[in-house]
Amino acid sequence: MIDPAEHLVVDCDWHYADTFDQIAPYMPEPWKTKFQNSGWDSTGVNQGLSAFFPTSTGNRSNYGKIDREFSDYPQGGDEKADVIEGMEFLDIDATLQISHLILAMGGVTADDRRVESFIKGYIDYMLAEVLDPAEGIYGLAPLPYHDIDASMDVLDRIEDERAFKGVVMVTAGASPPLGNRKYDPIYERCEALGLPVVYHTGGSGLDDYVRAGYEEMIETHTLGFLESNMSQIVSVACQGVPEKFPDLDIVFMESGVTYLPGLISRLDEEYLKRAEEAPLLDAPPGDYISDFYFGTQPLEESARPDLLEICFDMLGTEHLLYASDYPHWDYDSPNIITDLPMLDDEQRKDILGRNASEVFGL
Amino acid sequence: MSDGEIEVGAADAFADGDVEIIEVGRVEVGVIKADGEFYALRNQCPHDGGPACEGPVEKRLVGEWGGPGERVEQRYGDDSIVSCPWHGWSFYLETGEHIGDDSYVVPSYDVVVRDGVVYVQTD
Repeated sequence: MIDPAEHLVVDCDWHYADTFDQIAPYMPEPWKTKFQNSGWDSTGVNQGLSAFFPTSTGNRSNYGKIDREFSDYPQGGDEKADVIEGMEFLDIDATLQISHLILAMGGVTADDRRVESFIKGYIDYMLAEVLDPAEGIYGLAPLPYHDIDASMDVLDRIEDERAFKGVVMVTAGASPPLGNRKYDPIYERCEALGLPVVYHTGGSGLDDYVRAGYEEMIETHTLGFLESNMSQIVSVACQGVPEKFPDLDIVFMESGVTYLPGLISRLDEEYLKRAEEAPLLDAPPGDYISDFYFGTQPLEESARPDLLEICFDMLGTEHLLYASDYPHWDYDSPNIITDLPMLDDEQRKDILGRNASEVFGL
Repeated sequence: MSDGEIEVGAADAFADGDVEIIEVGRVEVGVIKADGEFYALRNQCPHDGGPACEGPVEKRLVGEWGGPGERVEQRYGDDSIVSCPWHGWSFYLETGEHIGDDSYVVPSYDVVVRDGVVYVQTD
């Protein structure tokens, strides 16, 4: 057994608990002025992504049960010092910061520039006030992928910024799904820049997951986060993104690992009956999916050990990346990895930090 | 007919796409004509045991990608395939390999046409 404090720990999914008040001064005009005059203040979206009349069923803090010592989550308002304190608490050496608020971008379906303006402001805010490679605080840049030109602007902005180590595509709400040719220019550019694409599930639309009417977050969070990632994995693999862009590193974040053997098995079974419908593939889609990288959180540590062992075997421990998801309500500490009995110490070190260090060039 | 051969019938009785099922020992073999060439594959799908040679004989659909942002254009390629009518598992006539996963292979047999007669070689 290893002690995380004595080994490299890279957290691939730390959520910076931002507020619109923090980001607005960095937004491009006219949204900088429009937002500041709007009266929305810090609640441009409900910070907890829940409310008495909710935008998403349930309450992130489980109705007051959950508290975070090193973050103002779920309301937001964190600062760099909060991140550093939290990293010390969790024995994390490096983090990849992902905006908390951007996870709701899938709820914006209008063809306007709110998402783009928020992202551009967020990037400048993070560069000015939070990201610090010397402290191990790196960032992943969200992309307003519904607008390819705006996404290219974002890539132009970060390409020479060594604090940004990849991009984020929020899987919730992405339509058409992210294997569509529409997104090819993004993938082409990320491949050329050596920026991994991190697909991150999100909370938008959870109440209407396939059908409306669910009543509790245990239902919508279990189903919705899974569906958002599964739908994009299937699209990205079947439409041949890994064949089109063979040097692009693909990472899927925040749905645990146990769904993957089932998804791969089902998809491969379909492929044997309908291979011509994935004409760019030279092998079953599962062969491509197992070349993707996967964030471990929320790891199903209560699952049968032999099931987890099968998951690790199918995906390869060299493709798993420790992710805390801190300060979100269901975060994983590094001990989740070190306590797993079916891994040896070298595999634990790979998952905790060495794999991510290589993928993201830290 | 020589040893190790089974006579199938007159070559000119086959049109492209025709299949003749014969017995080779205890198994069925499908003799298929496609593009003027003869092929012979075991008539048993490795998936569920279906009659793999009794489905449609076609060219394989392939996709060509013109570059970023372009649609993947589909067209019928050069390779002939036969599809099991039970579930659609499809195999190259040339090799017997599954078109999507070459770890699945239907056994194939050499076919010769001599003096206008089709023979399947069983050695």
